[in-house]
Amino acid sequence: MSSEYALQLDGVWKKYSKTEFFHKSIREEVVGLFKWKKDGTSLSKDEFWALKDVNLRLKRGEAIGLYGANGAGKTTILKVVSSITYPTIGDITVNGTVAPLIEVGAGFHPDLSGRENIYVNGTIIGMQIKEIKAKMDSIVGFSELEGFIDMPVKKYSSGMYLRLGFSVAVNSSAEVLLFDEILSVSDKAFQQKCVDKIKELKREGRSIIMVSHNLALLRETADSIYLIKDCTAVPMPEE
Amino acid sequence: MCACEYYKVDIIKRIIKYRQLFIVLVWREFAVRYRYTIIGIMWAGLQPLSMMLLFTFIFTYIMKLQVSSYPSFIFYFAGLIPWTFFAHSLNSSIPSLTNHYQLITKIYFPRELLPLSSIIVALVDFIICAVILFVFILIFRIPLTWNALWIFPLIVLLIVFTTSVSLFLAGLNVYYRDVRLASNFLIQLWFFMSPVMYSVDSLGTKMKMLLFLNPLTFIIENMRRVLLEGRGIVPWQMLFVCVVIGIFYVVLCRFFIKIERAFADVI
Repeated sequence: MSSEYALQLDGVWKKYSKTEFFHKSIREEVVGLFKWKKDGTSLSKDEFWALKDVNLRLKRGEAIGLYGANGAGKTTILKVVSSITYPTIGDITVNGTVAPLIEVGAGFHPDLSGRENIYVNGTIIGMQIKEIKAKMDSIVGFSELEGFIDMPVKKYSSGMYLRLGFSVAVNSSAEVLLFDEILSVSDKAFQQKCVDKIKELKREGRSIIMVSHNLALLRETADSIYLIKDCTAVPMPEE
Repeated sequence: MCACEYYKVDIIKRIIKYRQLFIVLVWREFAVRYRYTIIGIMWAGLQPLSMMLLFTFIFTYIMKLQVSSYPSFIFYFAGLIPWTFFAHSLNSSIPSLTNHYQLITKIYFPRELLPLSSIIVALVDFIICAVILFVFILIFRIPLTWNALWIFPLIVLLIVFTTSVSLFLAGLNVYYRDVRLASNFLIQLWFFMSPVMYSVDSLGTKMKMLLFLNPLTFIIENMRRVLLEGRGIVPWQMLFVCVVIGIFYVVLCRFFIKIERAFADVI
């Protein structure tokens, strides 16, 4: 295994079920307590493949962009990479650590203030409480939310929410960072700030997977772009 | 690191690895719980104290029961404290996973942190009530003996048993929301099967055997015995209950870790 890659996905398949009820699956799990390996390749009724044979390579200090229609499987790729869910078949090899959250601002509690949520979100991405205390000013400074940081986040606009989330997320010490749709929602000035930050993170040797519908911004930041189509990833054709 | 490694590790090691997040989740639970309340943390003692007053009123003044040689409200309170811990833990941990589906589908972390932080909140209430009980014991001069030290292993048993049942039911609730609905009245039934407003002392052997099928019977009954009556614990009973609760813990936690992997897909 070469350690040139921060992340490798080899023939990753992920099966999902369309049904509301999972009676069968829990029974399988319980039976599975006594059996070691069960065969997951066959597709039964109401099941579908969300990912089909996805192969990705991510080098250190590189960013890749995932581009594609809604429901094509972009977020599912992030989910299997971050171990939120597990691939049905295939291997994911990580050299280092992957950020455990796929959406900036996930885990914010609406009743807590911006500052309190920085603690919640910071520990989620693996920061120490002491470390968060030390970096508090720079996180708040980056978000440009100084005046509103002690206000409950339920009163934030979605743009403010995202800024705060991104400001915490870039402090993650993980080697592979995942950003879902951060470039699309914020205003031009903050977008530019995010782009600069992403470039800075790359220079530090961090690897990034970005999901966006904004192809121009992806071209500016990512080293290679994959088109996610029909549940699999293909290199983006040049225009 | 391979994701499958997480799954072989046991729950305590997983918590130690994620202790910073655990601390913040517990703190968050507290902060959110008492935010926008007037009396805040005083809610912790209020419920068991009001139940105690109710029981004392009904049983002492209406039904004219004499349950103990010491003031009967202390008898009821001592039973209500462990019971309240158990019931609160179950009530708050069962929906804890389904309520936080945004976290579960967006973030990786050991899922047991959510039900466990609910249990910690209940544990803090338990400690506050225990302090109140201790004040009662001092005021009413109930003699403490060395047997009172048994209270600590009994508390550990209570916590381990509560944790196992909570994790199991919280995990199951992700698949079947029936658990949440059934738990409301099952907890009520469980209350009457536990010696909170009565003592098994006066009952016949057959009845005792039946009630001791519930591990809480042993725990609650003996907490009162060692603390208020200065009596000791029957060693073989203690050993037996330890083994039963130990098996519960191992099996139910293993079950939780097994089904935990699919939570994000199922929830």
